[in-house]
Amino acid sequence: MELVFLLEQVVNGLVLGGYYLLVALGLALVFSVGGVVNLAHGAFYAIGAYLAYTIAERAGFATGVLLSPVLVALLGVLFERTILRRFYDADPIQGLLVTFGLAMIVEQLLRRIWGAAPIPVAMPQALKGAVLLGDFLFSRYRLLLLAIVALVLAAVWLLLNRTAFGRVVRAGIDRPDMVAALGIRLAPYRLAVVALGVGLAALAGALFAPIAVVHPAMGEEILTTAFVVVVIGGLGSFWGVVLAALLVGVTRGVTIHFVPAAGEAAMYVLMFLVLLLRPRGLSGERIGRFE
Amino acid sequence: MRSSALPSPKAAEVPPLAPSRVRPLLVGGAALLLLPLAMGPLGLTLGNAAILVILAIAASGLNVLVGWTGLVSFGHATWFGLGAYGAALLQRHLFGGRILLPIVASVLAAAALAAVVGFLLLRRRGVYFSLMTLALGALTFTVAFRWTEVTGGEDGLGGLERGALGPLDLDEPLAWYLFVAAIGFLVLWFCLRLARSPVGHVLVAIRERQERAAFQGYPVDRYRLLAFVLSAAITALAGALSAFQHYLVTAETVSVAFSGELLAMVVIGGMHHLLGPALGAVFYLLFRELLSIWTGDWLLWFGLLFVAFVLLSPEGLVGIARRLRARLRPPPVLAAAMGARRLHAGLPLPAFLRRPRRSGAILEVEAVAKRFGGIRAVEGASLEVRGDEIHALIGPNGAGKTTLFNLISGRLAPDAGSIRLEGREIAGLSPHTTCRMGIARSFQITNLFPGLSVYENLRLAVQARHPARFSLLRDVEDIAEIHEETRALVRWLGLEGIEGAAAGDLSYGGQRLVDLGIALASAPGLLLLDEPFAGLAAAERERIAGLVAEIGRTLPVLIVEHDLDRVLALADRVTVMNEGRVLVTGTPAAVRADPRVQEVYTGTGGAPIRRRAASATPRERPPLLQARGVRTFYGNSLILDGVELELGPGEILAVLGRNGAGKSTLLKSLCGLVPAREGSIRLAGRELRGLPAAEIARLGIGYVPQGRGLFAGMSVRHNLELGRLARPHEGRTGVVWSERAVLDLFPRLRERLDTPADYLSGGEQQMVAIARALSGDVRLLLLDEPFEGLAPVVVEELFGVLDSLRERLSILIVDHDLDHALALADRVLVLERGSVLHEGPARPLLEDLELRRRILWL
Repeated sequence: MELVFLLEQVVNGLVLGGYYLLVALGLALVFSVGGVVNLAHGAFYAIGAYLAYTIAERAGFATGVLLSPVLVALLGVLFERTILRRFYDADPIQGLLVTFGLAMIVEQLLRRIWGAAPIPVAMPQALKGAVLLGDFLFSRYRLLLLAIVALVLAAVWLLLNRTAFGRVVRAGIDRPDMVAALGIRLAPYRLAVVALGVGLAALAGALFAPIAVVHPAMGEEILTTAFVVVVIGGLGSFWGVVLAALLVGVTRGVTIHFVPAAGEAAMYVLMFLVLLLRPRGLSGERIGRFE
Repeated sequence: MRSSALPSPKAAEVPPLAPSRVRPLLVGGAALLLLPLAMGPLGLTLGNAAILVILAIAASGLNVLVGWTGLVSFGHATWFGLGAYGAALLQRHLFGGRILLPIVASVLAAAALAAVVGFLLLRRRGVYFSLMTLALGALTFTVAFRWTEVTGGEDGLGGLERGALGPLDLDEPLAWYLFVAAIGFLVLWFCLRLARSPVGHVLVAIRERQERAAFQGYPVDRYRLLAFVLSAAITALAGALSAFQHYLVTAETVSVAFSGELLAMVVIGGMHHLLGPALGAVFYLLFRELLSIWTGDWLLWFGLLFVAFVLLSPEGLVGIARRLRARLRPPPVLAAAMGARRLHAGLPLPAFLRRPRRSGAILEVEAVAKRFGGIRAVEGASLEVRGDEIHALIGPNGAGKTTLFNLISGRLAPDAGSIRLEGREIAGLSPHTTCRMGIARSFQITNLFPGLSVYENLRLAVQARHPARFSLLRDVEDIAEIHEETRALVRWLGLEGIEGAAAGDLSYGGQRLVDLGIALASAPGLLLLDEPFAGLAAAERERIAGLVAEIGRTLPVLIVEHDLDRVLALADRVTVMNEGRVLVTGTPAAVRADPRVQEVYTGTGGAPIRRRAASATPRERPPLLQARGVRTFYGNSLILDGVELELGPGEILAVLGRNGAGKSTLLKSLCGLVPAREGSIRLAGRELRGLPAAEIARLGIGYVPQGRGLFAGMSVRHNLELGRLARPHEGRTGVVWSERAVLDLFPRLRERLDTPADYLSGGEQQMVAIARALSGDVRLLLLDEPFEGLAPVVVEELFGVLDSLRERLSILIVDHDLDHALALADRVLVLERGSVLHEGPARPLLEDLELRRRILWL
């Protein structure tokens, strides 16, 4: 009985991890393009949730979930072109400061437009309820989320590793000079990757809105978690981030159920532990300009 | 190379290094006295005034870390909160009714905790450090919010008392304000002393260029930890005061939002000025109190302002004020031009550098090895520097000289072997320890503190030897010995008259002099000079050579150099390295005459190499490539000085010259990767200079860099595909290098299309690199060291392929394999120190070794 319960918590932790993964992956993507650590990433996540809610009110849940990330991706295009691009070759800290300020601004804007009170986002009727698999009881919606996250992860992996687009992006991270010497302009690729990264965050916001708390400061909360994930996994590594997200999700999910008050603190403890043992994260990649 | 972590002001805008001795106290004191009077008209209370002072203290604490040391903390509310909770808990459980004891004890506890936390966090720098402070802040908030038994959770800890201090009843607003203001003044005084102290100056140096500070002999980690602890303690003090201000502590004091507000205060106020954070606190409070009357979104506007300041005025309000003042009253222009110097001829070496001369071996390097991945940079290298000689270390590119140099100076640790200085083992020691043991080095790539004055650059190096270097409270101006030594060095170097200028403003020659000075200021027992003549004009080389000779009369010197004429004239003994090993050590005359050494530089003129006969009559066709007056810089260093060349269609040109001549840079300037600053580069009449590299490539230039530049983790097919991606295929200009044509050239690759490029042999990788560059409409191929690291058989094969491209394509080749490069080429261009030394047909140089030696050797 206890084991079953524990396993259910682990699965819930995986769902939580999937949620972190979308955001953290988006963050890692934006970072890989120009080396800017985007502290406004949580803001895009929050905008994704709010937009999805607003659209869902008029056009239904599915439309909200599909349209919101696309709109936010367009916002991401604007963000890259006007702001982010300036900081690709600048001191990393400057990028941090500007995106930090932007996050502050967005949070206030959200408060102004939608109010400070948390917004309850309704889960579509068809997805409510639970499913019984053998001895295990799982929330239907959470299972769906898990499936979607897995699909998205696979799609992103395929995009980066099996398409010409992905190859250009990876080559651009590896040797941007050489890519230019082959006649390829990297700017449009970078733009696309940033839009994708930001869109992933928005997707997470939209998908998890029914089970998370939608309020103006939600961006800040997810951001710290996303950073903990990225720092544990290692800034430059795809699978490192995946592993770290799942690890953090499971740790948090399990801890919350047994020692609720320590739930949040658990992941920080995990982060500091990992960093003590492997200062460059699980993947151990060394990124010179950040040290 | 990024030096400071924060946007550094442009050199011309450099604020005075340390604030003046007394003025900030007067300004601050006056402000504190007048503040209560200003509150009334603004509609604010004395309570607001006290809060303002508290915020100013907190922001000043943060600034010790951010502005002075260059470490950005996104979680400083942690310390504010710790101070607050600490004071509250101490009053409730230990010091009931008292106020001073809880405050003091809380600050001490916070400092102790900061020492531990700082030790963990500071193992990382820059971005990772900042992210971890963010996590720390979030963690502290969580703990404060959840650990209800201790912190009171959401409700916090209330019921605090201010009590009385002597006759003052601290519940009285005015009395409380005076108490807080007095503490604020004390903090200002401490920060001022800190800024003017040796430690304060070292913190600024660390911010400007941490590595150089380490090489000057400063244990950088200890200083950073000190800054972290002081910063935390000051902010904790503010937190403790805040607890008694409100009679209550809640989790809000540790929120991430508050951390952000503190940071905003520092940035908006001006992080490089002592009173900047206080100004930022004033701004913040006024903004909050006044704007919140009109709109609930004041934080939104504040955020917008913050971003605007980061983008437009990184020096904050202080920076704006300074710029306004400069416009009204332009400051005197500090001479930075070398012409403004007062030179004294024939000065002896400053007294503090003189030391007893020893004739035995002072440095012994024995069988040292260093590998980077699979590459053996240095293998079994041994050399010895005697206490009374100038010892030169020479060798072609990739010989391992720089690596060996870095091993000796402590920048790298050897994998094997031993390095002994005066009998003591120094292999693997950190740079600052190596410096303290008596080895100082100069740097080839500028490694000064660009934002600091010339004088300060040198003074810091002198200070590193002085016991006062750990002093927090002594005033730098008061330490006479340091100033005497610095001034003597300034005069001897010939920098008198411009020592007040920012080092970054000096010409390249001036900067190299400062660099030399910094190394000397450490009063070393052994001086290591890394290419001291590189990038300098003839007159400047003369001057440096004179200084080095003078130094060499007192100190042993080890020089790595490519300017062979000069260094062989200067040195007592020479060691030649090649391919990671020491070839020979001897006197300059012996080395100059040694045939093995000449071979390394000029090739063997070995077995005749077969090549296709070029057509006898040179066809009259307009040149494909024309370069005139090309000048290219790396930063301030002039690499190409007016290079001219012409290349016809189907012609092969070899670019030769000694190291540092600018050959690779020429190729990079042609394809736009290192843009030329002046001159003209035309491809079939079309001007290329100023175009982005991607566009130049698409106009028909293919580039194969040194080391091949293949993309990691990708197969041959995918590497080639990337080469074809952006190039036009219509064949407008004639030959189209289709996929089939390229694979016909390199049939071996056809069999290996899906092999990951990393698994191929060196020769095959080179083929992939060339095939990749040769796609679409390429008419000009630039090859940088294509034969490097390849086995002779493979070199022959590659030669054959390149030979077969003759007349179908123009090729510009740079290679140290002179025999093959000359056999391939129709014409030759010889570069020396960035200018064309010789231009002509290749055949004579191929066949006449004597001619080759004359032009390429000495």
